[in-house]
Amino acid sequence: MRWWSTASIRLRLTAQYALVLSLMLIVYAAATYVAVRHEFYERLEDEARHGVDTSMRDLEVDAQLREILVVLAGGLPLVVALAGAGGYMLARRALAPIDDLASEARRITADRLHDRLSVPNDKDEIGRLAAVINDTFARLESSFAQLRRFTADASHELRTPLAVIRGIGEVGLRETRTPAEYKDAIGSMLEEVDRLTRLVDTLLRLSYGDAGTIRLSRGPLDLGQLTREVTSSLAILAEERNQRLAVDAADGVSVTADRLVLREAIANVVDNAIKYSPQASTIDVRVRPGNGRASVSVADQGSGIAPEHRERIFDRFFRVDEGRSRDAGGAGLGLAIARWAVEVNGGRISVEPGAKGGSIFRIVLPLAAPPPGSQHDHAIHGSGGGES
Amino acid sequence: MRVLIVEDERKLAQVLTAALEAEHYDVVAAPTGEDGFFRANAEAFDLVVLDLMLPGRGGLEILRALRQRHIQTPVLILTARDGVDDRVLGLDLGADDYLVKPFAVAELLARIRALLRRGRPSDVLRLKAADLELDVVTRRASRGDRPLDLTAREFELLEYLLRHQGHLVSREMLAREVWREPRRATPIDNVIDVQMTRLRRKVDADGSSRLIHTVRGVGFVLREGEP
Repeated sequence: MRWWSTASIRLRLTAQYALVLSLMLIVYAAATYVAVRHEFYERLEDEARHGVDTSMRDLEVDAQLREILVVLAGGLPLVVALAGAGGYMLARRALAPIDDLASEARRITADRLHDRLSVPNDKDEIGRLAAVINDTFARLESSFAQLRRFTADASHELRTPLAVIRGIGEVGLRETRTPAEYKDAIGSMLEEVDRLTRLVDTLLRLSYGDAGTIRLSRGPLDLGQLTREVTSSLAILAEERNQRLAVDAADGVSVTADRLVLREAIANVVDNAIKYSPQASTIDVRVRPGNGRASVSVADQGSGIAPEHRERIFDRFFRVDEGRSRDAGGAGLGLAIARWAVEVNGGRISVEPGAKGGSIFRIVLPLAAPPPGSQHDHAIHGSGGGES
Repeated sequence: MRVLIVEDERKLAQVLTAALEAEHYDVVAAPTGEDGFFRANAEAFDLVVLDLMLPGRGGLEILRALRQRHIQTPVLILTARDGVDDRVLGLDLGADDYLVKPFAVAELLARIRALLRRGRPSDVLRLKAADLELDVVTRRASRGDRPLDLTAREFELLEYLLRHQGHLVSREMLAREVWREPRRATPIDNVIDVQMTRLRRKVDADGSSRLIHTVRGVGFVLREGEP
């Protein structure tokens, strides 16, 4: 049976078709023979009844029947062979577009991912197949583009501090300088080392996240309480900019999440709002339950995010303003970390334009039963709610 | 105080030796696992700084062997992998503390001081530097005759600086010890800088000599005179 599994579809189709046809023809021929034979003998009996001498006719009929049998049996292979050849050609015609598709697809490589298969007729099976393959190529192309962008950005972000360190070192050594100048140079190098260290930490953490090797310790937690904790620790940054950080958190909004990871997501979003909002503006932070979900929304009065940037704002290294300096904008990983941190906790993060300008960042998580230790304490403790 | 450093990376071993010698420790450096184990086994040390990734005999193996021989010298392990498994394994095997590379030398020195102090509680409740005084119990601080009006966070920050006076503290240390953030993220760094500026404005106000100094690229230090 080995050849069967390795033979082409065309061959297999033809063989199956020929087999079925032969069986049908054998049955048909057998039936015909039996019917003719029956008819002949009936006629003989008829003639005998009318007093005709049939002794000679008997032999004649036998000879005729034998002839018919030979024609039927002998013609069978011929008909099957002809039909098989026809079937083979038909199968070839039907399957030719698949071969074309395969050779077209083979031409599309990583470098030519923008090419697509031609779809002659999108209504038939081949057309639908081509459309599905094209769709796959489109997704591949976009993830390739993303990967390429990430690699380019990562190498830029990693190499810039290295270039700075090297430059300061080389210039510092070129001539003898005062101790104060040396101190300044070394301090400046250390600042770059610090930046590089944090960048490597963050990238490693994101890549552990991608590989799924981060172990989360998820438990019930009060989202309002966590949000207030974050805003009170960052309040000092808003104060410096004369901004008002208004927190309106509903009580008893409970979610199941890794506290530290989720905390970082909220902190990054709030920090982002503080950084990009004008002086003396208000940042509204709201925690609300609803529809089986809990949400944290952070509304700022910044300049808003253009629609074409809304999708990419959570991408690694993405900065709305490409020219923004590293000092002011960081490495552009804050929101990427936030997205990762929300998603591993089973939530979603999105951004939408605010009603009065600015943006609203929204973190939505599935609502959980209230954790022990909240105001629903008594109800749960009796039924065995554990320590959190 | 005798400290053994087991580290195969030559430059790092040199830097650590220099840093510890500057703090008046008696330092012995072992470049291989075998040498480190031999010395730790044969000589008396107050502390061992042990790299985990060593050629030949690995750090974890040395640690296990030492503890099996009931050598209870405090061990601080250095690792480049911050996976939880390594850390837990190291601590389970009897390490007393760990640091993930690249660490700040200031932090290593602080950890070493803490390990050597262990067992001898030195819980000073009144801290002093020049004319700056801080009472941990009454939570009052003053500079000369001038009482300082500090927020809770500023008080904790000043207490931490005073407890480490004369020594550098990095932003990592402050994030973890004062803000209790296990990870140093961008927002917390900015928070630390702003908080430090405010604290300095209160402590080193008008006319008083400067006590809180910023050391560029490293962190902060509370000290009389030049940093």
